[in-house]
Amino acid sequence: MEEAAFSLQPFFLWMQEHPFSQVMLDNTWAQPIVQVMHLVALSVFAGAVLIVDLRLLGVGVVKTPLAKVADEAMPWMVWAIVALAITGTPSLMSLAMKQYFSPFFWWKMELLVLGLIFTFTIRRRITHTDESKLGPVWPKVAGMFSIAVWTGVAIPARLIGLFS
Amino acid sequence: MLRALFEMVEAYPSSVAIRESLNAYPILLTSHVIGMCVFAGLVMMMDFRLAGFGNKSTSITDVQGRLFPWQMVGLAVSIVTGVLLVYGQPMRFYPNFYFWTKNLLIALAGLNIWYFHTKTYQTVEQWNHDPRPPFAARLAGVVSIVLWSAIIIIGRMIAYPGLVPQWWLDLGLDA
Repeated sequence: MEEAAFSLQPFFLWMQEHPFSQVMLDNTWAQPIVQVMHLVALSVFAGAVLIVDLRLLGVGVVKTPLAKVADEAMPWMVWAIVALAITGTPSLMSLAMKQYFSPFFWWKMELLVLGLIFTFTIRRRITHTDESKLGPVWPKVAGMFSIAVWTGVAIPARLIGLFS
Repeated sequence: MLRALFEMVEAYPSSVAIRESLNAYPILLTSHVIGMCVFAGLVMMMDFRLAGFGNKSTSITDVQGRLFPWQMVGLAVSIVTGVLLVYGQPMRFYPNFYFWTKNLLIALAGLNIWYFHTKTYQTVEQWNHDPRPPFAARLAGVVSIVLWSAIIIIGRMIAYPGLVPQWWLDLGLDA
């Protein structure tokens, strides 16, 4: 294979060969424990995202002001992201070379970056704009886009483990 | 008897078709996770309100009523894909400790829902807007959070059929 000008492969190799990865691989319970915690964190994250997205789409808790729904979901979403990162890192490190060569991993990571940027910029601005100024269309577009992007993160995430 | 049922289903041509399809398992499993996200995620948002942990600007009846249809969508996807996953590989699930434990926990979660709706929820108008609902409601919320988290954890553990108590393996169900 021709050598790319910039490659993350050395970094993934470093993660794979890190002593921590060996600890993860040597302990039978390590992988299942981080997997199950990742999944619980994912559920909280999905709930905190969806309660706002459904509100944006006009089919959720519509009696509560949009900014209130978003503000109250925010801490759950942020802590869930922290928990997802903490529980995702051991999996990433100990299976680094598998991840590196999985197209699903890169598909997941690219959409994850897109989802995070969108959520903390455009979506955050929309949820904190006076609803009468937003009109009927943009909140729905934002809600649909959010659901689509995060579904697009979850699907390849599940597939990484199935195809290796 | 239960074993005979699982073995009978395993022999069905439709079960064989799911089992031997390259795409069925990834599609069903991924859809099961998506269904879980919608169902468990929105159930937990409702539970946080009941337990007094969050979403306090929204009334209890609003959190319950407005999220309910979407919880049911998630539940329907989870049930259909879950049943098909078992239908396609009955004898993989029959000897699985976590599969039976998960079903037991789902039954317990059902009991919690039944008790909450027939007893506690009857007086909701008196505490609909309380940021900290009465003890019985907070308890129902916490029990629900614990049970559904446990169901997710145990559900994921189905993939590790060997990491179970020795007495379970000694039953020899996979023989």
